[in-house]
Amino acid sequence: MRKFLFSVLFLFGIYVNSFAAVGCSLDDPDRDVKRLFPESTGYLTKLLTLKEIGGEALKIKIEEKLGDKFDTVYEDLDVPYAYYIVLKGKDRIGYIHGVNQKGKFGVLQLVIAANLEGRIIAFYYQRISSPESSKFRASQFTGQFKGLSLEDFYKYNVSNNSLSEGRITKISDPSINSPEDFRATLRGIKKDLILLDEFLRGAVK
Amino acid sequence: MQINKISVIILPLLVILMIFAGSASANEALFYKEANLIGGYSSRDHWVGKSNDLTNSIGFEDYRKFSNDYGDYLTTDLQVRLAYDSTQNSHNAWGIQIHNAWLLYKMNYAAKLRVGHFDPAFGLEPQLDTHSTILQTLMMKDIGFKKDWGVGLEGALPKFDYKLALQLGSGMGIHRRDDSFLLTSRIGTPASENFQYGISFLLGRVLESEDMKTIPQDKLLSDKAISKKRIGLDSQYLFGPYLFKGEVAYGENDSKKVLGYLGELDYTIPRYQNWELELQFQSWINKLGESSSDDSTLTLGTSYKLNQSTTLRAAFSHDFNSMGQKEDNKILLQFYFFGA
Repeated sequence: MRKFLFSVLFLFGIYVNSFAAVGCSLDDPDRDVKRLFPESTGYLTKLLTLKEIGGEALKIKIEEKLGDKFDTVYEDLDVPYAYYIVLKGKDRIGYIHGVNQKGKFGVLQLVIAANLEGRIIAFYYQRISSPESSKFRASQFTGQFKGLSLEDFYKYNVSNNSLSEGRITKISDPSINSPEDFRATLRGIKKDLILLDEFLRGAVK
Repeated sequence: MQINKISVIILPLLVILMIFAGSASANEALFYKEANLIGGYSSRDHWVGKSNDLTNSIGFEDYRKFSNDYGDYLTTDLQVRLAYDSTQNSHNAWGIQIHNAWLLYKMNYAAKLRVGHFDPAFGLEPQLDTHSTILQTLMMKDIGFKKDWGVGLEGALPKFDYKLALQLGSGMGIHRRDDSFLLTSRIGTPASENFQYGISFLLGRVLESEDMKTIPQDKLLSDKAISKKRIGLDSQYLFGPYLFKGEVAYGENDSKKVLGYLGELDYTIPRYQNWELELQFQSWINKLGESSSDDSTLTLGTSYKLNQSTTLRAAFSHDFNSMGQKEDNKILLQFYFFGA
């Protein structure tokens, strides 16, 4: 009987759609959602890949918006992204989305919480390997991203690390020896906001 | 309790997981294919087709989330592989390993109930998941397996994560003999901290098996369970390109005092971040105070991530004195695929 059950199990398994290894999901969404949105009562996890929702054409479109090419390991088409729709009762009150971003010494995991209008209400590092991580994680630095939106980040040119105008120009590098991680943070947050915008506007899920 | 009585509990769970795995009702799903090819040369055993803890295998993982209008309430995971153990004869070499088979039910934001086959809540292993890596934690020497059947309670408080598990004490197979059980608990800092640490406790009567199979059932070395008690400390520290890992476990196997410790340093090459170097020393003393009762291994390893799904690994290890056996030098090569 048990052999039969497991044979059936395998048959079920091979007919399921394939995905790839997860990108940046929250370490503990229950704690993180409650901390970022204390009034929340639940959340919905959404999983999707760029391959699923637009493939190479979407990747090129996002790279153009970002102003930089995607990394072959961290930003592959097959990387599943997880974003979270935060609920109060049945109503949406915000979104949380995290991305992996290549940093100076290793991957950075950047997480933003946004309101329904797409403005950042909180930003934090889920993972940062910099020896100056405490400066990057400090609320004096991360708090400066509150209120920013994708429109603000479109004024930041990733490829030459220049800012034309706006509030982002006032955000300074908190580190002494890790300007690469500061630039990676700005690139990562811009990518995060672009992806979230695509996921939500695409309404694929 | 014999196997048939346990099956009354376990089999319905597997049926539920099968139904979930095959159903289209999940709100979100991920499906990964997995292949592990490993082999090398040992000065003691010559050509080897496995490491101490890894065999050649192919399999899949099916991960699902279920939700309603008020949010997510259930997560399921089923990870199964067909494994080939080159040290066994052809009749016993093939087997199915059920690695993960669990349901995680969200009770509230601070508590979740887990049922099925999952990690005991002890030491570094539940934080790392070394099911695919050459470098291992102390879990296999500490308990004898990395997953077991049972129920667990876990959650995240503002400053600490906690886990509690009550399991059969049989590992990959589904057995209960000689009042076997495994009770474990761990409390530790969140995984997002650069400096993480935890303390664990274990109490149990654990069965030892010959190999690592669920189907056909792995054979028990004895119908007698080993009484185990442990306290464990574990830690990780991420600093620049370095990741330090360490754990220590102390306790008793029946009346024998045991001690194990592990230290590991991983280095990510900043310019080529898909390339990592690893150095690990681990030691396990099966009877404190008695000579030739310790097993110590020094391993130098490297891993190179070809892309999102494929990783190549190599390791050289020196086994100083494996419980009275002669010293061993071993080189292992691994191809690992986990993805679409």
